[in-house]
Amino acid sequence: MSATNQKIWPKMTSREEFRFLADLVLKRSGGDDTTVTLQDHHGGTTRFANNRIVQNVDTRRGTLTVSVAFGKRRGSASTTDFTAGSIQETVARAERIARVSPEDPEYLPPPAPQIFPARQTARPETAAAGPARRLEYANEAIGQCRIENLQAAGIVSSSVVSAGVAASNGLFAHEERTEARFSLTVQADDATGWSAAAHRSIDHLKIQERTLTAIDKAKRGRDVQELPPGPYRVILEPAAVAGLWSWMLWTLDAKSYEKGTSPFADRLGRRITDERLTLQNLPGHPDLLGTGFTQEGLPSEDALWIENGVLRQLAYDRFTARMQGVKRIATWEAPHLSASGPTALRTQDLIKQCDLAILVTNFWYIRTVNHTDLTLTGMTRDGTFLVENGQITSAVRNFRFHESPLRVFNQVEAVTEPAEAVTSETGKLLVPAMILRDFHFSSVTRF
Amino acid sequence: MPNADWDELAELALRRVTASGAEYGDIRLLRSVSQTIGGEDRRIASIRDTDDTGFGVRVLYHGGWGFAASSVCSLEEVPRVADLAVEIARGSASLASEKVRLVEEPVHHDRVVTARRIDPFAVPLEQKTTLLREVMDYVQRQPEVVRSSASLWARRDWKLFLSTEGTRLEFDLLASQGEFTATARHDGRFASRSFSTPHLRTGYELIAEANFLAEAPRVAAQAVEKVKAPAVRPGLYDLVLDPEHLSLTIHESCGHPSELDRALGYEANYAGTSFLTTDRRGVFRYGSPHVNLVADNTEPDTLAATGYDDDGVTCQKWDIVREGLFVGYCTNREVASKIGETRSRGSNRADSWGSVPIVRIANIGLEPGTASLDELIADVKRGIYIEGHGSYSIDQRRYNFQFGGDAFWLIENGRRTHMVRDVIYHGMTPEFWGACDGVADRTHRRRYGFITCGKGQPGQSGWMTHAASPARFRRIEVIKG
Repeated sequence: MSATNQKIWPKMTSREEFRFLADLVLKRSGGDDTTVTLQDHHGGTTRFANNRIVQNVDTRRGTLTVSVAFGKRRGSASTTDFTAGSIQETVARAERIARVSPEDPEYLPPPAPQIFPARQTARPETAAAGPARRLEYANEAIGQCRIENLQAAGIVSSSVVSAGVAASNGLFAHEERTEARFSLTVQADDATGWSAAAHRSIDHLKIQERTLTAIDKAKRGRDVQELPPGPYRVILEPAAVAGLWSWMLWTLDAKSYEKGTSPFADRLGRRITDERLTLQNLPGHPDLLGTGFTQEGLPSEDALWIENGVLRQLAYDRFTARMQGVKRIATWEAPHLSASGPTALRTQDLIKQCDLAILVTNFWYIRTVNHTDLTLTGMTRDGTFLVENGQITSAVRNFRFHESPLRVFNQVEAVTEPAEAVTSETGKLLVPAMILRDFHFSSVTRF
Repeated sequence: MPNADWDELAELALRRVTASGAEYGDIRLLRSVSQTIGGEDRRIASIRDTDDTGFGVRVLYHGGWGFAASSVCSLEEVPRVADLAVEIARGSASLASEKVRLVEEPVHHDRVVTARRIDPFAVPLEQKTTLLREVMDYVQRQPEVVRSSASLWARRDWKLFLSTEGTRLEFDLLASQGEFTATARHDGRFASRSFSTPHLRTGYELIAEANFLAEAPRVAAQAVEKVKAPAVRPGLYDLVLDPEHLSLTIHESCGHPSELDRALGYEANYAGTSFLTTDRRGVFRYGSPHVNLVADNTEPDTLAATGYDDDGVTCQKWDIVREGLFVGYCTNREVASKIGETRSRGSNRADSWGSVPIVRIANIGLEPGTASLDELIADVKRGIYIEGHGSYSIDQRRYNFQFGGDAFWLIENGRRTHMVRDVIYHGMTPEFWGACDGVADRTHRRRYGFITCGKGQPGQSGWMTHAASPARFRRIEVIKG
């Protein structure tokens, strides 16, 4: 059943309509290979700050992209106009580009037709959610903060996407995807606390629970002290762990690996992190944002990236995969990091284990400092605390860190079960909170 | 205008908005065409040609905002979207503890066309791909250079803005840019060196005059020199920063904190707030007396010089920092009154028809001083000259920053001597700008811009230009990256 059947207008591009549009493109194209991709997005965001709505938007954007190849010459053109005349013009543009493009030695025809995994990527309650539902959730968060005499800033968003890919060799895939997000920063005087959630179902955002978490962090942040920079034992909450792991994933591309310009050079098949850690892609996991296929027309499937600390997988483009004899290209849109052996249940259990540590809620503005060893920098944000004798004793001013995940994830002391991690910089992952030793903070800021 | 019926659609939308009882409404219809050609390791890896058309309706109803947008430009869709914008604004108003009030702006009727000599979309594609392949070939002639990339980008926007106040503005805006990179490997390390034109509102003449092929051997040689250079020894150094490098420093440490919406908390959940709080305007010492940072959205060819912003407010020039004192913000019609100003500075921009306009950094530039670049360097005993962009990170209030660069030369006893690598400097924004003791003169002034400035939820990409002459900063802490 289509998740959006109950919506009257605007109607998303259905599977049948995409097939019709794709057929239109494929009939008009004179290319040796032609591929059509659809991204029809309808979403809205209610944004609030200072306990009032500051932005409230709803946007519908449909984009059709046509890629045409003559031999190894290819071109791509896109349009937001789905009328027959515009589609014809878009095909002609792609053809014009392809005819005069130089041959691409790495060009490959579209992937062969196949049956893609059917996943529950769309939830009707999210597709049906409109401005009123988003406003209701925003009001709930604002109301909680008003009661505490605190300031709320955040978003509630919901969206539905009709995504498809079709090609002249018979490849065809289509699915609807929904996504709902909530994030909240609570301000208590100069202190801030934060929490966030993302899910295919808007019913799973846990507004009240998340709001209370952010309020608690903000209130604890009022009592703040400054500590000197240096190496510290840290307890990283899942969002902070996700921030560092995302940079590992983003730099795992196989082409850089083959050319010797990757921080993972010569480490495939070798241990790169603590041996308890295993990273998988689990697109069928109900709490992750997995899909059935990629924009290229490849299936999204379970994949083992790091097994007991050993690097098992690289992010292959199709050409490099063919050159290396890799049959199946792994994706990582639904990352799941877990640990073997004894684990704690929650972050709170890790706090109880520490005599002295810094608890980090989240990192901000993470960037690469040294590409060779993957040294990163970034700031702690929205809840950085001193833990003494198994409990939080005060907030501390935010630190800048200077660290490589390839070093610190070999210094794991304890982990929890995987939990939701959603940040503005990483998307959604399921990762544990962790205790790491000798995490290097290089400087301190003024708040 | 690309579509003859745009005025009809715009007027239809505004009639619906007016009939709803809303106090204000506007519509932007926009068609953006872009072309991006990307090369990698001597091959043309992608040629993407996009045509993105749609409209967005913004409504202020009883002090609450609503915005709705669609890529379906039809007589059926426009009323639906206009009505939805009104409905959303009503919802916002129902929770409005404080009503939005817009400051006054005269009614404008105008047409803005940015200057161009050569239309990049009319330049044969073969000419562009040949240029990129040749430059990558040149770069990879250096034996130690193992990878190369090169790209050309152009975008043209046709826009129609109408408001319920009677303003009608037409725009024909063009922007271009090109760049290439060489990556060298040595002794288990790798390092890149780049050449980039600024993003400017000009035509293909920007690329033609940049002379990529003449620059390629230098860039390749410097990539090799960089990867083989000794690592920097941490410590305090005097820094001389080139204009391209300064554009990012200005952007992060002055541009963002001078956005008034940030200072007021609108971005607290994402991009962050600002240490330049409203009580500091006119009294806070941001930098040394050498530091004059001026917002100028009127300078031809710069990214934010579009005649009017997306509030329909005329582009202007004003001071952000005058002789080291923080004096001004970037504003829009909503927030200007919150600091007692009666007119917006005209810095409200959306990145597409589907996005609502938000306060954006203006074209903030560092005003030239009186020294020559040689004079700045001559007065440095132990320093580093930094060119281009590298690693960058800053806290959410814009105090604690850390920057790298694209290339670094040691300065010893007043002379640039040799390259060093892995240079990272960090500090606190006011102390850093307070350590500025010289800016080179206007003959050294260069302009660089950004089209990927992230802000807003949903995220938007802002466009602005930052001009500067090289500047010197004393005793800045440098660490090894």
